[in-house]
Amino acid sequence: MKQLVLLSLIETFEMVGVSMVLGTAIGIILATLLVLTRPSGLSPKPFIYQTLGIILNAFRSIPFIILIILMIPFTRFWAGTSIGTAAATLPLTFAASLLITRIIEDALNTTPKGLIEVGKALGASNLQIIMKIQFREALPLIVSGLTTISINIIGFSAMAGTVGGGGLGDLAIRYGYQRYDFTLLIIIVIILIAMVQCVQTLGNFLSARLKK
Amino acid sequence: MSIIIKNLEKSYDVVVLKGINLEVPQGQILGIIGKSGAGKSTLLRCLNGLEEPSAGNIMINDQPFTGIPDKDRRRIQQKIGNVFQSFNLLSRLTALENVMFPLKLLKQDPQASRKKALKMLHLVGLKGKENDYPSQLSGGQSQRVAIARALISDVSFLLCDEFTSALDIETSLEILELLRDLNKRLGITIILITHDMAIVREICDEVCVLDKGQIVEKNDITSILLYPQNAVTKSLIRNLINKDLPHHLQEKLMKKPTPNSAALFRLFFSSQTAGDPIISSIVKKYDVPINILFGNLDHIRETAFGCLIIAIPYEVSKIDAIVNDLAIRDVSSEILGYLPQKGCFT
Repeated sequence: MKQLVLLSLIETFEMVGVSMVLGTAIGIILATLLVLTRPSGLSPKPFIYQTLGIILNAFRSIPFIILIILMIPFTRFWAGTSIGTAAATLPLTFAASLLITRIIEDALNTTPKGLIEVGKALGASNLQIIMKIQFREALPLIVSGLTTISINIIGFSAMAGTVGGGGLGDLAIRYGYQRYDFTLLIIIVIILIAMVQCVQTLGNFLSARLKK
Repeated sequence: MSIIIKNLEKSYDVVVLKGINLEVPQGQILGIIGKSGAGKSTLLRCLNGLEEPSAGNIMINDQPFTGIPDKDRRRIQQKIGNVFQSFNLLSRLTALENVMFPLKLLKQDPQASRKKALKMLHLVGLKGKENDYPSQLSGGQSQRVAIARALISDVSFLLCDEFTSALDIETSLEILELLRDLNKRLGITIILITHDMAIVREICDEVCVLDKGQIVEKNDITSILLYPQNAVTKSLIRNLINKDLPHHLQEKLMKKPTPNSAALFRLFFSSQTAGDPIISSIVKKYDVPINILFGNLDHIRETAFGCLIIAIPYEVSKIDAIVNDLAIRDVSSEILGYLPQKGCFT
């Protein structure tokens, strides 16, 4: 039983870790694109901005559990199967990148206009302004946003359990709920609480350290 | 090494600037002054490349700055320093890193940049603050960091946008002194915009008054302050140099002389004429009593000037002669009006 819990814990870490890393990478790219092309951005491109915005909002409005089902064909193509940890990672990554795009976009948009003008007046390129001014200034906000999203994704990963995704959530449902093993259920809940606490504390600490 | 603006025009939905012609030679400190909405910020933003003019052109160091590709414009921008009202420092960089920032954008050697930034920070009087973050610095210190940052890439121009508005008077004066010092030492041209004539008076060589998007007056600082021509200029300096009659006398002032009235003269003395015993020689020469109603001595940059309001009993022949006499002595004078003699000779 101990081994089962440990294995599930590792699976949860895997799913959350991989989807957060990939999601952040995608989020950075999409958010940069949005911030760059928005009407008051450095390189306004209304068509790209609007289209991207509509697509992202559409996907954001799909409940995660339904997203998993809708994505089954892609998951099968990508992971070769639609069940298991690897399979659950795809919809998780998808959901994570949607959320992360949003928080990075918001964080980047908090950059004071004056700072962007400093960059412009210094003759910086658009990429330099985004990377060396906006991302740098927004980092504490991005880190605290990523913390919140990590916690969301831990929750989502439990939902992935319903389609055989593996991980702690899956274990809790199969053993705790379906086999009436309430002790195990409680243990898993405690582990999840501890995990969330750790992530939040770490996130707060990092964000505070980054703020000057 | 100069800035030449020709027929500059900028309009959004409305015309903000029109027919701006201005030449700023190397080493000058030019003040652009105007009320809010006069277009001074827009003019400055055309000069630092944040706005593209709608018409006309700007030449910087004999190179065109307008109507050129972004890449070329950026190269020129790198030689123009900017100081902003709100400092605009990067909050997550130390003072030193903020100063190094422009060099970092230019991908210069970090070691050399660091050395240069340290030198610059010391030059603006911030030794020991290198590793402080902007949140740990006072307003004056932050603006010094911003000035160091603006100057680090060997700029030939410094553009300052209402840069003392966020500072208290004492700190403003310190910063102005710093700028004047940097202007003398490094020979940089400084263009500053402000709505505060006191700032202009402290530092500028030349003043340009902007109103409704046009230059309405441009002259050296002493002339602007002593002999303003335009109504806007006059209103901007109204409270700056006290040269007005006390209020209770102003109320009694008459436009036309009456029997037994006294003429009120306002005299301006500059450094050259301040040494002459003008009053006593007039008293002797014309045998008139003179009463001094108001006096003030002031300085503009290094020039001392005085303002005196005197009352002389009104006698047509003598008054005309005195006016001529003063003109010959190179004392600028004007008759403010007339008061009953009772009011000023008691």
